[in-house]
Amino acid sequence: MEFIENYLYYIASFGLILIGLYIILIKKNLIKMIIGLSIMDTGVNILLISMGYLSGGTAPIFSRENLLPSRMVDPVPQALVLTAIVIGLAIIALALSLTIVLYRHYGTLNTRKIRDLKW
Amino acid sequence: MVNPVLLIVIPLGGAFAIPLFAFISKHLSKYISMIVALAMLIIVGVLIPAVSKNPIVVKIGGFRPPFGINLVVSPFSLFFAGIVSLVGFLVSIYAIKYIQKGDIDKYHLLFLLFLAGSVGVVLTGDIFNMFVFFEILCISSYALVAYNRDKDGVEAGIKYLIQGSVGSAFILIGIGLIYGLCGSLNMADIANQIHSVNSPLLFLALFLFITGFGIEGAIFPLNAWLPDAHSSAPSTISAVLSGFAIEVGIYAVVRFVWTVFGASNLLHFLAGLGILTLLIGELSAFKQNDIKRLLAYSSIGQIGLILFAISIGTAESISGGLFQVLSHALSKALLFLAAGYMIWKVSSRKIEEMKGIGVRMPITSFCFLIGAFSLVGLPPFIGFPSKFIIIKSALLTHQAYFYFLVGAVLLGTVIEISYFFKLLQGIFSKTEETGIDEAPLTALVPMVILTLLIVGIGVYPQAINQFLHLASHNLIDKMGYIEQVLGAL
Repeated sequence: MEFIENYLYYIASFGLILIGLYIILIKKNLIKMIIGLSIMDTGVNILLISMGYLSGGTAPIFSRENLLPSRMVDPVPQALVLTAIVIGLAIIALALSLTIVLYRHYGTLNTRKIRDLKW
Repeated sequence: MVNPVLLIVIPLGGAFAIPLFAFISKHLSKYISMIVALAMLIIVGVLIPAVSKNPIVVKIGGFRPPFGINLVVSPFSLFFAGIVSLVGFLVSIYAIKYIQKGDIDKYHLLFLLFLAGSVGVVLTGDIFNMFVFFEILCISSYALVAYNRDKDGVEAGIKYLIQGSVGSAFILIGIGLIYGLCGSLNMADIANQIHSVNSPLLFLALFLFITGFGIEGAIFPLNAWLPDAHSSAPSTISAVLSGFAIEVGIYAVVRFVWTVFGASNLLHFLAGLGILTLLIGELSAFKQNDIKRLLAYSSIGQIGLILFAISIGTAESISGGLFQVLSHALSKALLFLAAGYMIWKVSSRKIEEMKGIGVRMPITSFCFLIGAFSLVGLPPFIGFPSKFIIIKSALLTHQAYFYFLVGAVLLGTVIEISYFFKLLQGIFSKTEETGIDEAPLTALVPMVILTLLIVGIGVYPQAINQFLHLASHNLIDKMGYIEQVLGAL
């Protein structure tokens, strides 16, 4: 039980990453694959946040008295995640708009049927 | 002294200025992207003498290196930045007449973001910053592949997007693991501490980085997107994707394996992977009947050769690998640009339809011929000294493993010769008169410049040998890199 409590965030984040990867690899519907991409991104973001998270910690602002460095949350991963969320948003938006054009060409979202380009 | 930050700021600024100028006229954008690329080329030219003496470390915002973001302009990085700006400039001249359909201002905006991303990846000294520039590069190339919005382009674009973003997620996990282990994002700082870290997670992180950047770098099991994306994109984009985008991916892999992780025991594995990539690429190119698809598979083969050369690990082999990067960038850009107008005039990508085009478009076909000869490695073109140095340095290692791999390289070259000669034979065969004429001047100028560079450097390789030597020593000298960044306090 203690193991789960200590590693809860890691289990959750790698769980989400693997679920996302599974969806991308297995699902045939393009929209579902993009959802998988989004889930994977969320998992990565949770992993990054949990790297510097401290239960009950607070923001590292030195104006407050009696605030020890050991009670501060590392701000760098949060800055990284902020950037990563924006990048993820851009990718999802581009993917969805490409999907719309693809649907107009093929009339289907099934990736097994969209197969003009082969090896 | 010019500030190297300008190499990133100018294309980014140009990209965001284009929508403003588009209010006046959409046609202004094509000249903006040409001027921006020319400015980048001039800055690289000015920086070369200074950087050859001493690498420049730029501290953004004045923060000292382990904190904040820094750029490291070493000969090795500047070499890649030079290729990006040279090929970018020539392709932007070509694009003036070639890109006519669609929103041309958006094309040029994405093109400049693409240049900014590529230069950013090679100059930065911070792993998260590298990830951000890498994403700028990737997202703009996904959009550019699908620029024509035709069936093939969109399909290739979405394939590329899904594979590429899985790779990006892998890189981000790797960055998270490294930050957890070392508490730093600065490459030099990580390289300094990495040997005191003893954790299996380190191997996982390296694996994730190689996989993530390897997708963009088209290393063998990860290159399923490349033939589709390179063949379906507009020819200008195929030229830059093949010319420097995949090399930037290889740069990132090499930077992580050599500088950040110092994992020299991985080099034999990477050399084998390179040869596998080479053979798969050349064998697949052999049976193609689509001219751009053939060139795309040949790019995979060349990337394998570059990876092999850099993974041999001696100073000479690395300069041979860098020589091959230059030779591939020039030759493949030339081939895609020449193929662009051939396809335009014939309105087909099939090789059979290209019959007799050598008589109708003599200059374009002659440039194509030079590019193909150079890629195969015939003297006196640039492909000859590069392949020669690679094979020589591999034989000088006196290891049976590398002897074996050199045999595979030569086999790959033979396959390459056979498919290029088959292609050239079709192009230069005689047919009846058709209404096909020569490509316009804006296309001929960059092609002729590339041809002259290929012949010029091929005849006189000493011109760049010294700089390549500096660059390869700069890559090997890991302690020097750490000192330059962290010692410059």
